Amino acid sequence: MAKQLLPKRRLENVGLGLTGACVALVAVIVVTLIVMVAQQGLSAFFVDGIDFGAFITGTSWVPSDGKYGALPLIVTSFGVMVLSTLFTLPVALGSAIFVVEVRPGFGRKVFQPLVELLVGIPSVVYGLIGLTVVNAAMRAVFGDAAGTGAGILSGAIVLAVMILPTVTTLSIDALAAVPNQYREGSYALGCTRWQTVWHVVLKSALPSLMTAVILGMTRAFGETLAVQMVIGGVEKIMPAGLLSPAATLTTALTSGFANATTGSVQYHALWALGLLLMGMSLFFILIIHLIGSKGAKDRG
Amino acid sequence: MSKLDSLSRRQFVAGFGGTLAAVAGLGLVGCGGSGNSESGSDAASVSGTVNCSGATSFQKLVESAATKFEDAYPDVTVAITGGGSGQGLSDVKDGKAQIGRSDVFAEEKLEAADAAKLTDNTVAVVGMGPIVNSSVDVDGLTTEQLKGIFTGAITDWSEVGGTAGKIQVIERKAGSGTRATFEAAVLAGEKAPDTFAPVAEEDSSGTVVEKIQATEGSISYLAFSYFDDTKFKALKVDGVEPTAENVCSGDFNIWAYEHMYTAADADEATQAFIDFMLSDEVQGSLVEEEGFIPVSDMKVSKDADGKVSSK
Repeated sequence: MAKQLLPKRRLENVGLGLTGACVALVAVIVVTLIVMVAQQGLSAFFVDGIDFGAFITGTSWVPSDGKYGALPLIVTSFGVMVLSTLFTLPVALGSAIFVVEVRPGFGRKVFQPLVELLVGIPSVVYGLIGLTVVNAAMRAVFGDAAGTGAGILSGAIVLAVMILPTVTTLSIDALAAVPNQYREGSYALGCTRWQTVWHVVLKSALPSLMTAVILGMTRAFGETLAVQMVIGGVEKIMPAGLLSPAATLTTALTSGFANATTGSVQYHALWALGLLLMGMSLFFILIIHLIGSKGAKDRG
Repeated sequence: MSKLDSLSRRQFVAGFGGTLAAVAGLGLVGCGGSGNSESGSDAASVSGTVNCSGATSFQKLVESAATKFEDAYPDVTVAITGGGSGQGLSDVKDGKAQIGRSDVFAEEKLEAADAAKLTDNTVAVVGMGPIVNSSVDVDGLTTEQLKGIFTGAITDWSEVGGTAGKIQVIERKAGSGTRATFEAAVLAGEKAPDTFAPVAEEDSSGTVVEKIQATEGSISYLAFSYFDDTKFKALKVDGVEPTAENVCSGDFNIWAYEHMYTAADADEATQAFIDFMLSDEVQGSLVEEEGFIPVSDMKVSKDADGKVSSK
C-alpha cells in the first residue's frame, strides 16, 4: 500500500485552498474590470458633464467638436447584429438539420470539421477578404450608390460568415441533444421525417437554439477588427440605408483611442461607449440564463 | 481614489486593453522604462532605454534613425511603438514614454498647462496634397473648389471641369493629423455641415491608398511620402504642384510639422536621441529619403494657431 504523503484532512484543505484561490482570482478580475470601466465611463457624465440623454439620443459623434451622440453607433451595432443573424440563421439551421437528421455520417465526419475550421480563421483575414471581395462586389452590384463599397450591408455579410460556425455548431449540438425516443414516437404515429423535424425536433430544441442564436449575436455585437475594415467608419451622421457607411460602438472605440489623450473628455466618452457595450453583453448573458432556466423548467 | 485610479488604469492596459490592442493592431501598451544615464556626455557613457510612441505617419523615419543611433550609442535602446498622436502625447504627459510623436501641436490636444510642461522638437516637415482616382480627368483644383467638395457643396466632377460623375469623398478619421492639417489649410476655419457625410472615414493612410485605387471618382488627401503615380493621381492646388520645393518656398500651403515631444527634464539618453534626430546625419539625408522635408530648408514657419510667416 502506498504511503500517504499528507493526512487526508490536510489534502482536502489544500485542494479547497487551490480551487478556491482560482475562483477568487476570477471573481477579482471580473469585479475589477466592471468597477474600472464604470468608473472611467461614468466620469464622462459626472465629471465632464455630458448629458446622458443626449449621449444616448444624439445623432452626431464628432468628439473634436464636442458632439457625443452615440445613437448612430448604437443603431449601426444593432443593425449589423440583426442583419448578420438573419443571414446566418437559415443556413445554420438548414445545415444542422442535415447533419443531425439527414446524413449524420457525412455531416459529422466531413461537414462539421469544415465548419469548425472557420472558427480558427483570425478576424483580420475576414476583414481583408471583406475589403477586397465584399466591398468590390457591392460596387459592382450597386455602382455609385455604394460609394467605396463600405457600409452596413458589407459589415453584415462579413459578420454573417464569422458567426456562422458558432451558430451552426451550437445548433447541431442542440438538435443532437433531443432524445431519440421523441423521434421514434413521432414516426410511430405515422409522421413523415419533415413533420418529425419541424414539429418535434425543432420544437423541443428551441431553448438551446435560442441560446445558439444569442451567442452568435453577442459575437457579432462585439466583433471589431473585421467590421472596422469593411464598414466605412463614418460616425458623424445616422446611417441612411443599408449601403451607408457607418461605424459600430466597437469600431468607434478602437479608432477613437488612437486620437484621444488620457483624461480628456473624449477619452472618458470612449470609456462610456465601453460601458454601454459591457452593459449590452451582460444583458445578452442574462437572457441566455433566463432561456436556460426556463427550458430546464419546461422539460421538468 | 487616486491610487485606485492609477492602479486600475494599469490593470486595464495589462488585461482588457491588451486584448483591445491586439485586436486593433495598435501598440496601446505604453512601457515604463527610463534612462539611467550617468554624468558625462560621450556616446559610450550614455545608457538607458528611450520609449517613443505616437504618430505612425513618420514612424518609419524615426525607426531608421534609431537603428543608426543605436550603432553610435551601443548602450541605449530605443523602443518605438505606434498608437497615434493622441497616444503619444498622453504617454509623454503621463511619463509612460520619454518621447511622444505627434503630427499636431500639443496645444491642440492637451490642456494648456500640460502642453506647457513638454518640450517641442520639430524633426521634419510633411507636405500633403489632394489625390484622386486615376480615372478622374481633372488635374488641379482651386482651394475654393476643394472647400466645396469637402463640405458637400460640390458633388459632381462636371462642376469642376471634369466628366460628369459622382464625387466620392474619402476622409481620414476626425482627429487624424493628416485630416487636421488638410482641413486647416483648405477649409480655413469653416466646418463641414453635419448633413454632409463622406463615403468612408479611414483609420490609416494605407487604407486610403487602397480605397482611392479601387473607387471610381474618389478624392482624398495624403502625405507626399505616400504619393505614387502608378496608383492614383495627385492634384495641383491653385495651379501649384505638390512638391517639396513648393512647400519650402511657401507656395504650397498644406503642410505640417512632425513633432517629437519630450518632458522638460528629459534624461540624457532621450536628449541624445533628439539631438541625433536634429543632426545633419538625419536631417541631411534620411529625412528626404523617407519623403519628408528638413525643417532647415523651410523659408516659412507655422505656429500652433496655424499662422504662417516667412522666416
